Parts: sequence; C-alpha cells; structure tokens
Amino acid sequence: MNLPAPKPLISPSQHPHAEIIHRLEAGGSMLPDTPENLMQIIGIYKAYAVPMDFYWRDLLYIGEKVFLDPLPIFKYVISDEYLQRHNHYAGDDADLRIWRGRANVHPELEEFIKKGELNRNLPTWMHHFWHDRVNMEFAEACMRAMLWHRHMYAPVNKFDAYLDSDEYKANADRAIRAYFKGNPAMLGLYKLFPDMFLEQCRQASYYANLGLFWEVMAPVFFEMSDIYDEGGFKGVPDAMNFLVNGIFAVAGRPIYHHVYIGDECYEIIPKSKGFTWLYEAALPYVEAVFYRTAPFRGTKSYNAQAKQVPEDQQDFHYGVLYADKFPVGTAGIPPTLLAQDMLHFLPPYLKEYYQKHCRGEDDMLNQLAITFQRSMYNVTSAVIQALRQALLYPLDDPNPKHLMANRKFFEAQMDRFLRPEARLRDVQTADYR
Amino acid sequence: MLSPLIWLPLVGAIALGFAPGSLTSKWLRYGAIAIASLPLLWVLFLFTQFDLTQSGMQMQEYLPWIQTLGINYSLATDGLSLPLVGLSNLLVFLVVFGTDGGAISKEPLKRPRLFYALVLLISAGMAGALLAQNLLLFFLFYELELIPFYLLIVVWGGQKRDYAGMKFLIYTAVSGVLILAAFLAIVWLSGSGSFDYGEIALDDLPQRTQLILLTLLLVGFGIKIPLIPLHTWLPDAYVEASTPTAILLGGVLAKLGTYGLTRFGVGLFPETWSLVTPGVALIAAMCVMYGALAAIAQKDIKRMVAYSSIGHMGYVMLGLAAFTPLSMVGAVSQMVSHGLILALLFYIVGVIEAKVGTRELDVLNGLLNPIRGLPLTSSLLVLAGMASAGIPGMVGFVSEFLVFQGSFPVFPLPTLLCVVGTGLTAVYFVIMLNRTCFGRLDAKTAYYPRVSLKEQLPALGLTALIIWLGLQPGWLVRWSESTTAALVAQAPVERPLAQTGAQAVVGHGTMAPLAIAPDLVTSPN
Repeated sequence: MNLPAPKPLISPSQHPHAEIIHRLEAGGSMLPDTPENLMQIIGIYKAYAVPMDFYWRDLLYIGEKVFLDPLPIFKYVISDEYLQRHNHYAGDDADLRIWRGRANVHPELEEFIKKGELNRNLPTWMHHFWHDRVNMEFAEACMRAMLWHRHMYAPVNKFDAYLDSDEYKANADRAIRAYFKGNPAMLGLYKLFPDMFLEQCRQASYYANLGLFWEVMAPVFFEMSDIYDEGGFKGVPDAMNFLVNGIFAVAGRPIYHHVYIGDECYEIIPKSKGFTWLYEAALPYVEAVFYRTAPFRGTKSYNAQAKQVPEDQQDFHYGVLYADKFPVGTAGIPPTLLAQDMLHFLPPYLKEYYQKHCRGEDDMLNQLAITFQRSMYNVTSAVIQALRQALLYPLDDPNPKHLMANRKFFEAQMDRFLRPEARLRDVQTADYR
Repeated sequence: MLSPLIWLPLVGAIALGFAPGSLTSKWLRYGAIAIASLPLLWVLFLFTQFDLTQSGMQMQEYLPWIQTLGINYSLATDGLSLPLVGLSNLLVFLVVFGTDGGAISKEPLKRPRLFYALVLLISAGMAGALLAQNLLLFFLFYELELIPFYLLIVVWGGQKRDYAGMKFLIYTAVSGVLILAAFLAIVWLSGSGSFDYGEIALDDLPQRTQLILLTLLLVGFGIKIPLIPLHTWLPDAYVEASTPTAILLGGVLAKLGTYGLTRFGVGLFPETWSLVTPGVALIAAMCVMYGALAAIAQKDIKRMVAYSSIGHMGYVMLGLAAFTPLSMVGAVSQMVSHGLILALLFYIVGVIEAKVGTRELDVLNGLLNPIRGLPLTSSLLVLAGMASAGIPGMVGFVSEFLVFQGSFPVFPLPTLLCVVGTGLTAVYFVIMLNRTCFGRLDAKTAYYPRVSLKEQLPALGLTALIIWLGLQPGWLVRWSESTTAALVAQAPVERPLAQTGAQAVVGHGTMAPLAIAPDLVTSPN
C-alpha cells in the first residue's frame, strides 16, 4: 500500500530557478543527477587534479622562493624540492590522512614534465620555450583574480585586511630588504617606490594563498576519481557531499606566507595569525574565480563607457559559471590554457565520450571546457551546501521557519544566476556540450 | 578539334540521363565527374595548341548542314571565346564535383540522374554557343541553355523557385526573341545568303538600321548580362537557385551575355558600337553603383553576392564601352575573373548555408572560431571578398585595373564612378565578413557539422586559381590580347578621348588620341 507523500512544510518556491532550489533543498546539486553528468564531472576532476598538482607546487615555489625576482624567467621551472614536496593532505606523512593519494608528484605529471606533449625527452628549457608544459599562466590568472577582487567575504575573511596592516608591511619590509641584500639598485628602487614592492609582496602572498588552497583540492579530486573507478558514488549528490565533507575536514587548515631567502625563513604571514583555508582561501577563491574574474581579452569587446562592464566590482560575472566556453581555443585566454592542460590527462572514458559528440577530436577543448563548467557548478553547489550547513539549518530540520531561512539563502544564491550570461540553465540539459 | 567540347558532355548527359536505375547516386557522381573532366582536359590541351600571335579564328571546323537556310555546323575559337570555354568547363567540373559531397546541400542530392544530365547539357550548350561561327547555330545553343537552367531552378531551387524560374524563363525568352529578330534582320538586310559569322558584312547598311539592330542585340544580351534596368530576374533566380545552379548562372550564363554582345554587337557593328558607347558606359557605371549599393542594403549573404554580380558585370560593360585594346583585354579578363570569384563566393555561401542552416546576416556570427566555427571556409570567404573588392595579388585586381586603365582616357566620369564602386564593394564585403566571420560564435546554436577537406576542395581550387592569376596575370590576358586588339582595330572612326589627353598603352601598340565627339560622328549616308 502506498502511503501519501508527506505534505511539504513550506510552500514551493516561486523563484525562476525554483526547480533547482527544490533540488538543493532535497540535498542535491545544481547539476542534475544523471550518470552522464557524474561520469563527466569525475573524469574532469581527475584531468584537473593532475595539472593542479603542479599548480600548487609552483605557486608555493613562486611565493616562497622566486618571491620578488624582477626577471622571473624560470619561475615555471620548478625546483626538484618543490616538485617532490610532500602534500600535507596525502601520503603516509600527511597532517590529515583522509584521502589516499600519494604525497609526492603524480606520476602522469612527472611523465608530462619530462616528455611533454611532444613525448620526447628534451631539455626542460626546450619544452618550456616550445610551450610544451603545464600552463602556469592559468594558475596565475586565478591568483590575480583573487588579488584584484580583494576584500571578499570581509570581515569573516581577515586575510586582505592583514595585507594592509602595519604588521604585514613590517614583515614584508624585512623580507624585501633581505631578498635584495647586496643589490643596491633594487634597494634604491625600493626606497623610491616602496608601495610597488609591497604590492608585489601582496601578490606573492596570494601565490602562497592559492597554492595552499589547491594543495588540498588536488588529493580531493584524485580521491574522487579513484572512488568512481572503484564503483563508488551512486550519483552527482554523492560527489557533492564528498566535497562538502572535504571542505569541513580541512576548513581550519592554516593559510600563511613564508619566504625562504638563503637559509632563513621570513614569516610574512605567520601561521599564528590564524587564517584558515575555508574563509581566507576557499570562499574568496570561489567568489573570485567562479563568479567574478574579469573579461578575457580577445573574446569580446567590453566598453566600460557604454556600461558593458559593471560599475561595481562585485557585480563582475565573468567566472567559469558564466563563461561562454566557445571562445576556448581562440587565444591564450586562461580557460583555453586550463583546457589545454586538462586535455593531456583526460581519463580514457571521457576521451571516448567526447569522440562521440560534436566534432570529436577536433573540438575536445570546447567539450571538456563545458564539462569543466558543469563540474564547477557541482563544486559551487558543495560550497553553497557547506555555507548553508555552517551558517543555517539542516535540510531535514522540522521547523518551517528554519526551512524558510534555508529557502531564502538558496534563493539569494540562485539570484546570482538570473542574469542571462549564467550557464545554470544550459547545464540542466545534456545537449549543452 | 573543338567538337569534343560539345559532344562529349552531350553524349555524357544522354548516357547519364538514361543510365540504369540500379546505379547509385555515388556512381552517378563518379560518372559525371569523369565525363565533366574530359572536356576540361580537352580544353586544357586546346590552350596548349592555341596560337597567341594569331588574332583571327583558329581550330576551325565546318560541316554544311541546312544550306538552304544558311545554317552550317561551323565552329572556331579565338582569344575571346577560348578563356570563356575554359572557365565554363572548369565551373561545370567543380559543380559536378562539389554538389553531392554534402558541402553545399544539407540533404543528399535529389534526382541526381537528371541533375548531372542537365549540368552536362549546360556544358555542351555553353561550348556550342561560345564556339559557334554561325548565327543560328549560336542561337540554337543559346536557347538550349534556357531549358536546363529553368529546370535546375524549379527542381532544385529554394522556396520561391517556381516564381524565380518563371521570371527567368520569361526574361530569357524575351532575350532570345530579340536576339533571333536581330540575327534574322542582320542576315536578310545584309543580303548575305548564309548565317555564317565570317560571311556577314554590314558596311552597306544605313547607320540608323545598324543602330536599331545593335539596340536589339544590346537589349537581348543586356537581359542575360544583366544590365539595369533589365536585371530584376537576377536576384530572384540567383537566390532561389541552389548553389550549383547559382554558380552556373553567375559564372557561366552571364558570360554568354557579354560574350554575345562582344562577338555580335561589337564584332558586327564596330562603327555603330562607337556611337552608343557613351550611353553604355553610363549604364555600366550605373550597374556598378546600383549593384554595390543594393548589396550593402541586403541582409541575406547570397542576395548580397547576387547584387555584387550585377555590379561586377558593369566593369565588363565599361571595358567594352571604352573599346580600347587595354579595356577590351580588361573586359575579357573581368569575365573570367568574375566567373571565378563569383563561383567561389556562391560556393562558400552554399557551404555556410548547408552547415549553419542560414544565410541571414543578423544570425550568422563568429564563423572564424577555430574549433566550433568554419575557420577555413571563413578564411576563404575573406579571400573571396578581397578578390571581389579588387585587392592586389588576386585576379579581381588585375582585370579591374586593366578596365579602369583602359577606360579612363575615354570615359573618365563613368570610370571614376566604377572606381567608387570598387570602394563600395569593399564596404559590403567588410559588412558581410564582419557579421559573418568575426564576432562571438553563439554558444546556443554553434553545433555545426565540420566541413571536410573534400568539401573544401572546389573552393580551394578556385582560390588557388584566383591567387595564381592575380600573381601571374600574363596567364589571364595573353589569350585575348591579339583578338581584342584586332576587334578594336576594326573600328574605322576615331572616337572621343577625355580632355586629359591620356593615352592607353598596351603591348600591341598605342591608341591614337581621338578627337571627334560622338555626336559629330557622321553617318556614311
């Protein structure tokens, strides 16, 4: 005998994205729960994790070692120390061992660094200048987006406020003087333009910030791929919940900026400041990179005087959730660089899937960029659910007022996808590829 | 030597038309390609046999037919007809090669047997008309063209194909009637017992009569070219016709108009032609300006190309009107270059329509996108636009420059208007390219099929030819220099020259400055 479904405690949402809001309220993701979507997002997480394993290592290398090098020609040629550096969240000596991945560099990445797309053992500089390497420019673009959109989630995010503090300036000053010790030209320039050096130092701090953020995300994505390969994850919500749990597991990870000059370590942002992974890195990252960023040159003409660019920085909407993925491949824009990186590490099932659609091999960059967009809607869903969990009420809360508060929160989040550029509507169908 | 150009495609058309029903579309296509390649190879061989120093008719063939009526099977070629025969055979080959590859049609070609037979019939008809040395034989082939073209429009055309086909039929039938009337009158009034081109002498006819006859020819062929205001059939026919038909209409059939006018108008009435040239030059300039301005106003890229064709045929008319050795070489070159460029444009427009599903300027966008767009097709469209606008390095520049250089001393104002017309050509091509190729590809619609290399081949071949002849113009003009110089030399009277006193200089000599105004040309009577 079928029992009648219990009457919902609150009436249905009237929001244009009501269907998605109801899905979120039921513990789902913004991305529809289909096996095809699950296969796509997990496949792309794996393809993303491999270059990300390089991004975080090199970002930390630049932030901590290259620092203010005025001619950082070899900043993408990472030292062996950083390449083999043990991830703090993977491997046997990890600070927190919840994901199974290895501590040092991923073998596929190691192979790619040696042989590149050319699949030849050429000297590193030849791979570098042939542009047959991991596109660190993408990682730097994400870092710059965070730097440019500073003060997101303030006052919860205290990182940016600290960058403007006297304490930070004093720490930076010590590091700058030590870095340019014995270099009267640069020290003279520093005297003339101290703010310029300080701003460069802030940028280096963001290098470290993003590096520390991605150090966590790489093993998370590897783990998700492994679970999927083992037959785990029954649907998209499982994948989302895995991310939510991951977010809470590492939320307190310290965010800091240490610079190594000679044998000394200069703590520009010490761990003791208490900056954490969730508030000082993850949330600003999602806001800056998924939502805001800036218009990419070469893809469209933006005329600020004709008000084609929002006056208010927080209204920027050029992130991956809004991006038109069709210009991918047209120019050296960050999405193209990332897509090119991911193309090298696609799992076979995803490659096979792309071969069957659109132009197969020829537009794989476009197809995977759109898959990536889908996957980032899932990551954003995880962030939204994590925020709801941290700030509001459980989804099965019996109090209608609490459910209504959750509803308002979800609706406010969905308001950001009302603008026509948002791809939320597109990712609801399988035809968008 | 010339007969194979007529009979090979004719026999091929009949063979294909009655081919066994079990023959698949693929094999019909292969058969048609094989048949179409034979006259093309033959005409290439004829180019090697052509004597460049000789201005008169070559490779003559003569077979008495109905001698009581003065109709004979008489063929020959010269520097005027040979390049056009080459062009016609090339375009027919490309059409046969490119039609059923999926590039210029979304669906498989329907009724392929009839289609290929008709196209080959056009090839035979064109060769016959261009090579015929008997007025009635020419007329026979000229009219023969009408039937396959009408069928090609109404069977394979667009939504308004019946209307366009009927309009084309009526206009072209009127053109035929006028030409037939002129031909009959020419022979009867001249007292010649034969319709053979070489035997007709009109020197004794009063100039008034000559003027009437020439006007008949001018209007008759003017419809075919077309000259404004006789052009109104063209946009409908070109746009409603399928891409292969449009290529043949613009690249092949229109040339029959200018060829006929040159051969029979200018060739038989050189003196009277000089009399009407100021008016013709003015009409030519109007064609150029009208074609360009109308093209600017279009929202459909095929219609835009159709109007551009009207404009570009104006340059041929300007060259014919100026009637200097240089301008005549330019006119013949322009016929060839217009045929090549227009065919390329129509082919690319066809590819875009087949792949994107629209020709609307307001809908098309961002086709240069390297991954999801049609990058090579768009690049070829840019090249075709540049060629059409007369950018140096391509064949359009060579022929337009020759026309302008040859015409300016005689008709400075119409020439200047035509130069402005080339500027306007650049305007509408920039509009077209800007809207079609550049901009952002619409993510909601851009799931276009890929254009394969096989589908690109006809366009690539035409582009290669356009660039090669642009860089090596000698290969374009050498065939017609002697013939056109001889044609100009027929004109016994000196004609007006612009007050600039400039001289047109060509390889064969100089044109003496002329001093007599057209209204001062006295009638022999």
